Amino acid sequence: MNIVVCIKQVPDAPSIRMDRERMTIIRDGVESIINPLDRVALEAALDLKQKEGGTVSVLTMGPSQSEEALRESMAAGADQAILLTDPLFAGADTLATSKVIGSAISKMDPFPDLILCGRQTIDSDTGHVGPQLAEELNLPQVCGVTEIHVEMNALVVKQLSDGFQNTYRVSLPALLTVSMGLNVPRHIPLGDLEEAFSTARVIRWGLKDLKLQREEVGFSGSATTVLRLYKPPQKRKGEIVSGSSQTLAENLIDKLVSLSILDEDEAE
Amino acid sequence: MKSRESVVSAHHNYLVNQMLAPGFLIGNPVSKDEFYFLADVVLPGESEPKICSRLYDAHGGFILEMEAREIVQNPSGCLRQPFPGGYRIVTPSGESLLNVQTESFANGFLTRIQGKLYDQGGKLRIEPYYDAIQVHGEVGLWLKEPFRKK
Amino acid sequence: MKTKQSRDWEGVWVFGDYRNYFQNRVTLQLIAKGRQLARDLGTEVTVLVLGSQIHQYAMEYTAHGADAIMVVDHPNLKNYQVETYVRVVSQLVQNFRPEILLAGATAFGREFFPRLAKRMNTGLSADCVALEIDGSKRLLIQTTPAFGGDLLADIITPEHRPQMATVHPGVFEERIHDHEARARILYPEVDVQAEERVQLIRSKPDQSRKGGLEDADVVVVGGKGLGSKENFQMLFELARLLGGEVGATRPVILSGWAEENRLLGQTGKSVKPKLLITAGTSGAVQYTTGIQGAETIIAINRDPHAPILKMADLGLVGDAKTVLSLLLEKLRKRL
Repeated sequence: MNIVVCIKQVPDAPSIRMDRERMTIIRDGVESIINPLDRVALEAALDLKQKEGGTVSVLTMGPSQSEEALRESMAAGADQAILLTDPLFAGADTLATSKVIGSAISKMDPFPDLILCGRQTIDSDTGHVGPQLAEELNLPQVCGVTEIHVEMNALVVKQLSDGFQNTYRVSLPALLTVSMGLNVPRHIPLGDLEEAFSTARVIRWGLKDLKLQREEVGFSGSATTVLRLYKPPQKRKGEIVSGSSQTLAENLIDKLVSLSILDEDEAE
Repeated sequence: MKSRESVVSAHHNYLVNQMLAPGFLIGNPVSKDEFYFLADVVLPGESEPKICSRLYDAHGGFILEMEAREIVQNPSGCLRQPFPGGYRIVTPSGESLLNVQTESFANGFLTRIQGKLYDQGGKLRIEPYYDAIQVHGEVGLWLKEPFRKK
Repeated sequence: MKTKQSRDWEGVWVFGDYRNYFQNRVTLQLIAKGRQLARDLGTEVTVLVLGSQIHQYAMEYTAHGADAIMVVDHPNLKNYQVETYVRVVSQLVQNFRPEILLAGATAFGREFFPRLAKRMNTGLSADCVALEIDGSKRLLIQTTPAFGGDLLADIITPEHRPQMATVHPGVFEERIHDHEARARILYPEVDVQAEERVQLIRSKPDQSRKGGLEDADVVVVGGKGLGSKENFQMLFELARLLGGEVGATRPVILSGWAEENRLLGQTGKSVKPKLLITAGTSGAVQYTTGIQGAETIIAINRDPHAPILKMADLGLVGDAKTVLSLLLEKLRKRL
């Protein structure tokens, strides 16, 4: 089974700090990681490769630095890594992103049996690229998969969706996006990481390699535009209390009483 | 793209020609010897459909005239048999002429009518279609307000 | 699609997601908002209802403010399925040309709308927390959380139609049920071909749905600031003592301290309890979207500048774990 895993390198969210004066993100010292759900997708691919044979290719669209994420994936066991990078790819919304990634996958020979993506990223969080990529490649999709079983020319998958647990049979080739709970990604040994960063080869494709037009990619190929970015307005002007933990705990109790969640008269 | 259009009421609708409608009227209710079928608008506060009709058989012979809850002219002795959620009109031999059933939702009602109804010329005007009816001939007049204010 | 003739596109459409109808109110919320947007544009709000035997929902949406209902009633539409629905709705959109198309950001909506947007080569914003019209240009201003949570972004779709958005449940308020309401109802003739490549084998209610976070009067939430899974466990006792439920933020779920169905926020649940206590959470917009409907919010964070403290009714600057342990001690004595 030939599998392509689409990954994205994202900032490690808790370490983002804002320069509130200048409304910019402070990027110094911010770690970049593979989007957590993409790690789950990669793990699922490696698992399937172990059981069914075949190859696992990882693919990402991003700046040069995204290569790190691809090398890390190779260290985990991916056979091939492709970086889609070009200054013209920048500023893309998901419509343009899915166009670029779809074109890259179409170029692959043989065409994969299965494409796996994380359901959404921790930075932009739209969850659009998976479905839009499936549409670009005219593939059946199931999103938010929590279990994958292999049958003849098809997969049986489970999905948790809006309070229902659904089981589907999907014919191959197909695209799946994965949710937490599908697996726990393996730990990558340091030695494998070192090797991937020194010797592994990463293929690079840009606009010309994909035979796309400028108008189809990046900012020009996008349908949405960001008009403005701003801080959310604060609606509650609450009181802020400092002090010893005792004081704070007592404050909390008083508040619970005032809300009638606790009764006033209970003696301690 | 072809598209059919009707009006839908939040409270009560009939299912006719595969569409919801608050009420409809076919034929001529004013004349004393012509076919008509009136499914009148049911207003908030009411829950029962209001069906009035003059029914004929496939040869154009007059069968009966009914108004809402009762049969007012009945030469052949048909019966009105209520059941939970509706009623049916049957001939003395037990053949069902008309079936009226109302489904209750949390906040509204839907009445499905079933029957094969002919006019005074023996022409088929209404016939069953899946779980409701299809109206033939002239386009039924969709009602937005009650026709008969009782 | 990209268009220079955006004037030809008119009307606000809302996709009717009627599954779990009485609990899931997002379509009703969108009809109310859609109606307001439509009035700002001098047009109408139409609700799309796809399915089999869906008369009840056509009537409910009428009662809740739809100007028009567009129905496609066919056995192939009985189960919600992405490609089958994309095929039907894209035909309708191409024919009727609505300028705006909205859906609730349910799991289905978030899987269906992107594919539909791609089919129609138009823009889509996800999980909006606000929608307004820029009247001068007839543009929909779509507000979503951005940059992993700290900021909001106003997004527009200047040259493509329809302008599409999914909207977070609980952001807008529905109109009350009006028994006297009427609406136009249209039954377009569309090709309804089922997607054969994806077959639903079975569908059952998710049993692991723990206790109804969305219905709880009291919700206690923990973030990474609690320090460890053991510390997070304190919340379960606190919830029990206060008669509430436990929620969690995304970093906590990713660390395996709690299960995904406790996730609150943009990609999780929205809650509107009487009281919400949030401990060791910094206050990323992606999380706070899910709790902004709470009547009273008490936050505990050791960082005096943490955004959560400013968005709470009562902010306590201190170590979450310590304050919670002390609180539990006191509560155990009282109750």
